[in-house]
Amino acid sequence: MTDTIRVAAGPIGPKSMPESFSRRDFLASAGAVVAVTASRAADPGRVPVIDCHTHAGTGTDLTAPWTTIADPQEIIRRHKEAGIDQACIFPITHDTFEEANREIAEIVRRYPGHFIGYAKHDPVTEKGRIRAMLLRECREMGLRGLKLHVKPTPEVLDTVAELGIPIIWHPGRVAMFDDVAKAYPTVDLIMAHLGSDLSNDWREHLAAIDLARRYPNVYLDTGACVFTRYLEQAIKELGPGKIVYGSDEPEVDCRLEIFKVRILKLPKEQEEMILGGNIQRLLGKYKGGAA
Amino acid sequence: MKTESRKPLVIDCHAYAGSGKTWADPARDVNYEAAEIFERGTAAGIDRHCVMPPRNDTYREANRQIASLCEQHAGRLIGFAAHSPRREAGSLRRMLVEEVRSMGLRAVRSDGPPNRELLDAVVELGIPVIYYPSGNWQQLGRYIHMPATAYPKVNFIIPHLGQYHSLSWAAHPEAIDLARRYGNVYLDMSGVGSFKYAEMAVRELPPDKILFGTCAPELDPRVDGEALRLLKLPPAAFAKVASQNLLRLLGKPPRV
Repeated sequence: MTDTIRVAAGPIGPKSMPESFSRRDFLASAGAVVAVTASRAADPGRVPVIDCHTHAGTGTDLTAPWTTIADPQEIIRRHKEAGIDQACIFPITHDTFEEANREIAEIVRRYPGHFIGYAKHDPVTEKGRIRAMLLRECREMGLRGLKLHVKPTPEVLDTVAELGIPIIWHPGRVAMFDDVAKAYPTVDLIMAHLGSDLSNDWREHLAAIDLARRYPNVYLDTGACVFTRYLEQAIKELGPGKIVYGSDEPEVDCRLEIFKVRILKLPKEQEEMILGGNIQRLLGKYKGGAA
Repeated sequence: MKTESRKPLVIDCHAYAGSGKTWADPARDVNYEAAEIFERGTAAGIDRHCVMPPRNDTYREANRQIASLCEQHAGRLIGFAAHSPRREAGSLRRMLVEEVRSMGLRAVRSDGPPNRELLDAVVELGIPVIYYPSGNWQQLGRYIHMPATAYPKVNFIIPHLGQYHSLSWAAHPEAIDLARRYGNVYLDMSGVGSFKYAEMAVRELPPDKILFGTCAPELDPRVDGEALRLLKLPPAAFAKVASQNLLRLLGKPPRV
């Protein structure tokens, strides 16, 4: 018997999404990280360029760009211009994420080797169901990380620790990371936007740098940092091992976000760590297995 | 015969010099040096920068600083004045006439909604007004519709395509609509966080309505220089956005 997993149909892509696909397909997509690593065989010395912060899929609210649609084809077009090999993708804004995460798995499957799928969950609205969903999303659907906007609960953190996946979290305030990073030292936490989306509050960039210095398991993503002096400061003070390139596509253009890193003219090995090596290392800690 | 293609002139219409508080945050003191602008501006391929003062309570001294810097760096800097219509009410015309006719400043940034006193002086002097109504998209309409209608001979430049850092996305389509509606409203593309709205602006507006700017040195001008390149404009449109539109709005320099 072939297990099938139903997915939400959406308008994205050249053709409509199939209503179902096989577990084998899901597991094939789960090997995307490995597949891309293998595709580097032609250029074994090159570290892939990976955007750690990208949204994809369809939303239902239609009240803002980030509740409406994030088209993976447009994103791939910009990736080609920017020299980006892969991106970690997760859903846009929803109240609950079960269907949206299925759509992410489908997008990963549709563009083999290009996307690494993450789940997204709301620890409040999905309370009590997250462990079961996340285990299934990683083991059966091949997702390899978790995106959060809301502070993670022990239910979320225990499951993430069990799976060995990273969390990318866009917090309301940088200080919200503190007790989480302290209580779960084995969970890798990537703070989105260097602590402040679109540099809305430059003080939060400084707070983020301090927090990442304090906790070995906290990393900073570069996406949508408008005051680039804080990106320079973060690399100078923390070293390249704590910085992860991300863009927040499709709201923020990956071509300009990667430009902000490249103009720093870092030594090659440092730039490679930021543009792909660091996130590749974090993704390599997965221990959830497959179904 | 081989003809050499000349690089189009690139002028940054939105940069800062001198001391005050940053426009980005009233709590942060700044003292922007011209050298900061030139270092990265040159790397971005920018030939000249229009500089205006950072935020001050009143601008008489700050504008003098700007004029002095422009004298020191003639050919590299174009000076803009700034004034607060509310806090400097009653002396706006006198100051602005001196700053334009005697000190060579070429435009005025309005720190707060422009009033009749400021705009009457602007009409007399034939200079453009830079005005950024901070806040959400409704603020933009509220503070642009009436001045643009009441003063059709004044050219208004709205910075940041209507929204600094794209913090309120809906302001960008609103700004584009305003520029489409009013012949005397222009947009500068400095400091936009979400580049797709710059692409939207060049797609929906004639290239005559958009001006290149960077917010240097507060923001790295190389980033907006790259954004200009990524717009992939045809040469004629590029030349307009990069400098020709601005030069047209500035008109002939006054005799100093």
